[in-house]
Amino acid sequence: MKLDLLKYSVSNLWSRKMRSFLTILSILIGITSIYALISFGQGINKYMEDFAQEMGSDKVFLMPGGGLSNAPGTSNIMFSEDDLDFISKSRGISETTAMMIDFGKVEFKDFREKYPYVMGLSTESGEKRLIEEMFGGIGVMEGRGLKKGDVLKAAVGYSYTIPNRMFKKAMSVGDKIEINDVKVEVIGFYEEIGNPGDDSNIYLSQEGFKEIFDTEEFEYIYMRVAPGEDPSDIAERVKERFRKRRGQKEGEEDFTIQTFEDVMATFTNMIMILNGVLVMIALISLVVAAVNIMNTMYTSVLERTKEIGIMKAIGSRNRQILNVFLVESGILGLVGGGLGILLGYSIAKMGQAAARAAGLTFLKPHFPLWLTIGSLLFAFLIGALSGTLPAIRASKQKPVDALRYE
Amino acid sequence: MKDVTIKLDNVWKIYKMGEVEVPALKGINLEVKQGEFLAVMGPSGSGKSTAMNMIGVLDIPTRGKISLKGQDISKLSESDLAQIRGKTIGFIFQQFNLISTLSALENVTLPMIFQNMPKDERVERALKLLEMVGLRERIDHKPGEMSGGQQQRVAIARSLINDPEVILADEPTGNLDSESGHKVIDFLQDLHKKEKKTIVMVTHDEDIAKFAGRTEYLHDGQIVRGRKRF
Repeated sequence: MKLDLLKYSVSNLWSRKMRSFLTILSILIGITSIYALISFGQGINKYMEDFAQEMGSDKVFLMPGGGLSNAPGTSNIMFSEDDLDFISKSRGISETTAMMIDFGKVEFKDFREKYPYVMGLSTESGEKRLIEEMFGGIGVMEGRGLKKGDVLKAAVGYSYTIPNRMFKKAMSVGDKIEINDVKVEVIGFYEEIGNPGDDSNIYLSQEGFKEIFDTEEFEYIYMRVAPGEDPSDIAERVKERFRKRRGQKEGEEDFTIQTFEDVMATFTNMIMILNGVLVMIALISLVVAAVNIMNTMYTSVLERTKEIGIMKAIGSRNRQILNVFLVESGILGLVGGGLGILLGYSIAKMGQAAARAAGLTFLKPHFPLWLTIGSLLFAFLIGALSGTLPAIRASKQKPVDALRYE
Repeated sequence: MKDVTIKLDNVWKIYKMGEVEVPALKGINLEVKQGEFLAVMGPSGSGKSTAMNMIGVLDIPTRGKISLKGQDISKLSESDLAQIRGKTIGFIFQQFNLISTLSALENVTLPMIFQNMPKDERVERALKLLEMVGLRERIDHKPGEMSGGQQQRVAIARSLINDPEVILADEPTGNLDSESGHKVIDFLQDLHKKEKKTIVMVTHDEDIAKFAGRTEYLHDGQIVRGRKRF
């Protein structure tokens, strides 16, 4: 009996193909955008989680000014070797390292020059490991990393191995580049991090950085918290000590200390808010779709008034009429949702390919099962709910009046 | 004496047109006995369609009582009435009233679907009835692909699918040419004689009414006994 009514509903939708198609199209657009957007949100979330796993949660950062709101390389507040020494002697800190950073004019062969970040790193093995962990546990994929005694040698990011990304041609180990007009030898390439900014970094030893940029100051100091210590407590303690050392009042510091988890949370929140706003916009299109379904169903109820009367005359109960119309609107939602998921999946995959081509590897959609099932269910519910009022109206028709309708 | 199948007891139906009350039926008393073939005649506006709706429990009276096989149905809910219609009454309308998106076979089985009957049984019975009305070859045709006479025969098959005790025919030949009309009347007579169905037929055509065993005349919302007033 249920199956028969389903068949009847489908044949009704089929007999009004164009209208059904247009109604399905409206819900399809909404579900497509929601599915694609959430899959990217989920992908970024997953990327962050994986990144966090590689990075470990035992790290604390010292940054100039308000922290991440400042673009690296633009700060006029810097930290000294003495500051680093002071921090490394703090209780609860097991390792520290510092990083110099600035924009550099980089030239390679006759190609047009580029201005990526150049970083000065410590070549001590422990400190080097700490930095590599900061970048999500990347390693050298070709050539070698920096080691003690390297001065005018550079390990460079993944982007330099791809033609036309930074320079027209890819670099190879042994190539010579010029940083701020100083000749430097490329000794190795780092693995891909996944965003074009970090992948175009150039890493020098601190000795090399001093030689080229003529500075001894650091922009970032990284700490590893001793095992068993709580990173937030340590961050708080270091902050207080460092503030006193700089003679600043609470709340007026010219630096920021954040645990790794805070930084991740800041990033994740930012992305989630952005994603949330986009999803909200997509939801508006679903509201429009719901109104559209309701309109379609009202029209259908009106057109089939006589049919409803006939069905009632030959013994259909109100509930059965209600079901027929609910199933029809539910099918509109379900089909729109199913097609929307397929289209959303394809669009997300195309988006991934486009992001990949642009070096934004971290923009990778993720399709958890709940997203697919949830989207389908959501589309069905929107269909069924928008159909409820028209269906109730249909089922409440008086058979005599409905039969008389022409 | 035969049992009374349908009884209208002082039935009034009053429609409200804005502020004005328009009585369509003014205290009708009518009994239809089991196995009877009754024709209800009257000019347009006489209230015969309203009476038909009452007899077919498509509508409930403003005042008065309608009983079907002794059960008062004047106060039942719409869903209960639907159930009673589906089981006990088969409708044949002037406009055929088939569902245009469904095939002949599907149209005939529809009342059984509403009664939750199993599919095999439905199809078997529908095929038998379509055979009876001479449309075995046209079971997959939709109403739009059939002539008026054929559509009315599908409607007759549909009215019989749940084996109802009463067949209500509202101007069943009104939209048909005389040959098709006669065929329909032949079917109704067969149903009355062979199947012992109770038949109530509303018509304004004397030639058709004469096939019935008894004729009641309606005029101005009242039954006018014994003589024709129009």
